[in-house]
Amino acid sequence: MAGMCYGVNMGETETSTPVEPSSKSARRRRMEIHQFNFVPNDSAVAPPPLPKKKRQRIETVVDPVPPPPRSCGVEGNVLTTVPEEEDEGSTTTTFDLSATTSNDVVPTERPKFGMTSVCGRRRDMEDSVAIHPSFCDSRSGLHFFGVYDGHGCSHVATKCKDRMHEIVRDEYGTGELSWEHTMNQSFSKMDKEVTDWPRGANGGAASSSCRCELQTPHCDAVGSTAVVAVVTPEKIVVSNCGDSRAVLCRNGVAIPLSVDHKPDRPDELNRIQDAGGRVIFWDGPRVLGVLAMSRAIGDNYLKPYVIPEPEVTITDRTVEDECLILASDGLWDVVSNETACGVARMCLQSRRPPSPPRSPGSDVNVTDAGESSDRACSDAAILLTKLALARHSTDNVSVVVVDLRRGQ
Amino acid sequence: MASSSDQVREHSCFQEWIAQQECDLSELLHYMEAPANSDETSAAREVCLRQLVDKNIRHFQAYSEKRIRLARDDVSPFFSPTWCSIFENSLLWLGGCRPTLLIRLVYALCGLQIESQLDKFLEGIRTGNLGELSARQLSLINDLQGRTIKEEGRLSSCVASLQEKIGDQPIATIVNESSSEFLEPNAKVDEALDEHEQSMVSMLEEADRLRMKTLKELMNILTPLQAVNFLAASKKLHLCVHACGKRRDRFHGRRGK
Repeated sequence: MAGMCYGVNMGETETSTPVEPSSKSARRRRMEIHQFNFVPNDSAVAPPPLPKKKRQRIETVVDPVPPPPRSCGVEGNVLTTVPEEEDEGSTTTTFDLSATTSNDVVPTERPKFGMTSVCGRRRDMEDSVAIHPSFCDSRSGLHFFGVYDGHGCSHVATKCKDRMHEIVRDEYGTGELSWEHTMNQSFSKMDKEVTDWPRGANGGAASSSCRCELQTPHCDAVGSTAVVAVVTPEKIVVSNCGDSRAVLCRNGVAIPLSVDHKPDRPDELNRIQDAGGRVIFWDGPRVLGVLAMSRAIGDNYLKPYVIPEPEVTITDRTVEDECLILASDGLWDVVSNETACGVARMCLQSRRPPSPPRSPGSDVNVTDAGESSDRACSDAAILLTKLALARHSTDNVSVVVVDLRRGQ
Repeated sequence: MASSSDQVREHSCFQEWIAQQECDLSELLHYMEAPANSDETSAAREVCLRQLVDKNIRHFQAYSEKRIRLARDDVSPFFSPTWCSIFENSLLWLGGCRPTLLIRLVYALCGLQIESQLDKFLEGIRTGNLGELSARQLSLINDLQGRTIKEEGRLSSCVASLQEKIGDQPIATIVNESSSEFLEPNAKVDEALDEHEQSMVSMLEEADRLRMKTLKELMNILTPLQAVNFLAASKKLHLCVHACGKRRDRFHGRRGK
């Protein structure tokens, strides 16, 4: 908890812990891992990577995953795209930024990260993830990470994935000094875009491969969470709307950099009631008995009770920072912040030990030493995802792990 | 006419399949439990496991082909088999299991193993089981799941359309125009029903094809050891549901299964 005050500006938030039904928290506690027996820096550290024999076979049998839209050292780390979106074509955008990145003579700090996003036990994929290293220009060292968990349909989350980083880049480019203002403006513009989109002249009709096909009135009842982290050389700027979450792992301590917007959070409850809305318990607290979060991008029909205004936290980076975890509630519903940090940091600390020869498939992505940290982040993301599936997460699961250690 | 012998053949086709499943399961378990032979190289063991997986897939394929041949003569029993328990029948999707059930089973097995071995995993101990699905494997499985869900949806809506058609022409017209003699044999109605059954054969074929395709793709994504683990678990599940279903039938006084 002390960590919450560490250079963190919680905006209008006054409480720091999300309210949680006691039975649920008790269940979570029961599900915690009791103990990690891992000893850092023991003899198992830094063995040579295994030769990869199996990979080619796997690749020839199954269609390979489309390559990530980035150039800088992410091969194999960007794990999964939304199945429905693959035929859509609109999500595999090419970014003008990548050109500058790859041509850059003196690259700034290269972010190391891993990402996993799976449909899991649901039949619809509504999560989206966006990762854009050096998203403003190649020298400023600003990296963008976003997790969007859609509800009602997938198109708002998809739109956020496609557009949010561009909007933030443009806002940043206006020279506005405060990150808080920049992010507020960006979220507001993002919300306006998704709200106007279906009504626009060239509507979404052409690109609407989503379930609702952007038909009004249904598409008014669609929205998405958004947790966006802009990592600069000095700071971590986290902007959040909804119940996805960003957690910083600092010297083994889990520090939440966002507080979930649940309708029963006292300040949110007050805000909703002051606006004339009500929170009704219907399978948990819901705004007007409908939506189980109090802020979101989209959800036009629930305005002004559900707002797209983010809470922005700005955290100074320290040498003790290990990693940043962004994830949808598919992870956080079943894995606590502390467990997630514990797992992620162990993956970062342990270089991959040699696997027994019988499991070649578990070891497919190691390329060269330079990418081993990306590999560790990828390991962390996938392990957290599998842990969520292990604990019967019934939702889509999306996890991003960003390595924050200096000079690795 | 040929009905009683049809029933016998269909029934025995299934009984042989169950026996085959039991036999395959014990072979799979035998391989899983056998201590790694020190003389045997890991590559040789892998080849051996892969052959075992391929053999199991061939058995699935053979069963599927056999029942499609039977279904061409008499398709309806395959959608509501008299040889399965009532409980099993309540789980059927187009004459068999839902293909996406395979994905859920992978996730369940992966979860089971990862939760029980997390400490060891973090210590760097690897066993090569399903808990160790790699990033690439998980990605491929997720992709397979997406495509399979879509295909399931497509087939489900085809069969919905066929089922609705019973209430439409030509049967609706024939029945409506005849006064009360619809209880008598009617060539036109029979013709329409024959046509419907033909369509149902195609549905069964397509569903079986999707089940096989999903299984084969999954087997290719998994390592041989993981695939053997998965096959053993899936057969245990099938045999368990079959046995439990029969017990439930007996409990509720339904006999003769």
